[in-house]
Amino acid sequence: MAAGCRLNTAVEGRAYAPLSSRIYAARLACRCSAAPEETGLLAGCQAEVLDSEGRVLAAAALTELRIDARLGRQPRRLEFPDGTVFETEDHAAIEALTGPVRGSWLHSMEQFRPRLIAVAAAALAGIWLVWRYGLDMLVAAAVMITPAVAVQQIDSGMVQTIDYALAEPTGLSKQEQARVTEVFETLLAHAGEPPKGAGFQLLFRDMPGMGPNALALPGGTVVMTDAFVEQFPDEDVLAGVLGHEIGHVAEQHGLKQLYRSIGLYVVVAFLAGETGPLMEDVLLEGNVLLSLRYGRGHEASADSYGVRLADRAGYDPEGLKRFFAEVQGQAGEPPEWLSSHPNHATRLEAIDGHIRALGR
Amino acid sequence: MEKSATGFEFRGNAKEWFGIWIVNLLLSILTLGIYSAWAKVRRNKYFYNNTYIEGRNFDYHATGGQILIGRLIVVGAYIVLNVIIGLFPMSAVVVLPLLIVAIPWLIVRAMMFNARMSSFSNVRFNFTGGAGSAFVVFLIYPILTALTLYTTFPMLERAIKRFSINNHKLGTAPFVLDAPLKPFYTALFAALAWFLAVGAVLFVFAQDSVFQVMTNQNPDPEEVLIWIAGFYGVFFIGVLPAAVLYQALVRNAVYNHTVLAGGHRFRSNVSARALLWIAVTNLLAVALTLGLMLPWAQVRLARYLAGHTGVALGGSLDEFVGTQQTKTSALGDAYADIEGIDVGLPV
Repeated sequence: MAAGCRLNTAVEGRAYAPLSSRIYAARLACRCSAAPEETGLLAGCQAEVLDSEGRVLAAAALTELRIDARLGRQPRRLEFPDGTVFETEDHAAIEALTGPVRGSWLHSMEQFRPRLIAVAAAALAGIWLVWRYGLDMLVAAAVMITPAVAVQQIDSGMVQTIDYALAEPTGLSKQEQARVTEVFETLLAHAGEPPKGAGFQLLFRDMPGMGPNALALPGGTVVMTDAFVEQFPDEDVLAGVLGHEIGHVAEQHGLKQLYRSIGLYVVVAFLAGETGPLMEDVLLEGNVLLSLRYGRGHEASADSYGVRLADRAGYDPEGLKRFFAEVQGQAGEPPEWLSSHPNHATRLEAIDGHIRALGR
Repeated sequence: MEKSATGFEFRGNAKEWFGIWIVNLLLSILTLGIYSAWAKVRRNKYFYNNTYIEGRNFDYHATGGQILIGRLIVVGAYIVLNVIIGLFPMSAVVVLPLLIVAIPWLIVRAMMFNARMSSFSNVRFNFTGGAGSAFVVFLIYPILTALTLYTTFPMLERAIKRFSINNHKLGTAPFVLDAPLKPFYTALFAALAWFLAVGAVLFVFAQDSVFQVMTNQNPDPEEVLIWIAGFYGVFFIGVLPAAVLYQALVRNAVYNHTVLAGGHRFRSNVSARALLWIAVTNLLAVALTLGLMLPWAQVRLARYLAGHTGVALGGSLDEFVGTQQTKTSALGDAYADIEGIDVGLPV
């Protein structure tokens, strides 16, 4: 159906004068210099808003009107160049006037018809894809464009924070430090190239309250507590745990976790929009639990990396296992879904699997 | 609400909004998020258009293009700044303080953009707040409030609401919020009282295990579980309802002391209990349907809020006059969008 004036009877509605909130009962009339059926053009058509006494409030060529896209049952608004606004609930008449536009396709898609089930299914599938693959791709892209200096900056900043808030200088003797560092160097010799921007270094700190512990920063700084070296002098155990930490750096877990939590937040904010009270708190809380799950995946992956690296470097791959078996009984654990690390029992079982996979 | 007040009315329905929402969602995903700018326009337009008082409704006029450009600029600036700080770490000393000063400016731009893109009965809103007062309200006052250990938090709350409302206009007609401090303190004390009461009850029940967990170096995993359950209990029964209670009381206080030039006095009688009931049941419905009931939940909340908001009219609504507007960019709006800052007027 060609658009244009085919209005023998005028469209009833309301009008506002420019910049005024006063409402007039009004109607819209339209006439063309040539029959639109013949020319197919709106150019020759003139639209007019008339008040109840027939006075012309505004007039303009049909092509000069600003007509917002249709949205639900909401009145259509037609704005004349001088600012006069005409609004009406007579959707059919306006549709006839404008013909099919981009907005009418959208409006027809949005109708609550069986077809909408397909749209909903596609949207759910899309969300699943974004969640399953899209976020990872986003994270990978972000990791790729992160400048090397920025990664080093994170490391030096975090070491400063740790030194300020958590750690004392190490109390280990030079020989002990050298012994552990040698294990670290041996492992590195068998590890692949470090990722862009990462430079490995091993630091020792006395961290009261942290127990036997080691942690890796994104730029390749690995921090080991004095308590660890004192409780686990066994080089196979050291190799397993240091291999685990090298795994975190090699697989860029730190950056990935950082970007993933930001990415998830942005995606949820853009897709869900305003959710009202309560729901946004719960969404944030759910985000935390999900990122914990993501972190547990990384721990498992680093375990596997550590076992394989220790083996390649000539250490007993059982070392990491001995460590977890030892600490298992030492402290209670929260339920796994609330923890950033998998439970020791789960890890021991998985490590057994990795060792078997080495073919011994 | 008093008899003489004219109520707001929300005419949207869940079916219709579901259709618009799900198409928004699908197109946003298919276009890798680009369409979400247009989706935002459609969402705002739907909720504005469907809010009526005396047969007149609101409208939203921003275009998707404006919002997309604003977002691109903000994201671009964010990346550029990160790269600069990454390459020249020392520049952070200069860049970060500059950013902190820029935030109030961006907040003001966001409020201006949102106001100018909104209209009621063919008259656009406007926002005239300056970045200087925004700096004081959003950066200096919070620091002062922290110095008083948050005992003056209601003053901060009132200052923020005043800054927002007193700088808004409908055409040439200003809004004025002139509220005493008392209702703001009442809201805070009511929320605190709820939180403390819940905390006390839970403590009495879980006293033994709390002590055991806190004094025992190697607690039994089951005890830890109870402790964590207690933590979530406090969060869901103590903190969240207290927050809803606070929001409801503050909303009522703000509306009931706001006047639009022409003698139009706003009224709100939202009840915390009803709001909490809606929030909890909405949450359950949305969670149980993988989010598909979100449009229904949003419509339900909008309908409740509109139904408990009104205006004691001081005269005809025909008399508002708009002003010619200069162009505003969506830059600040995009920033507020991304940072999740909520500075809008609660309608």
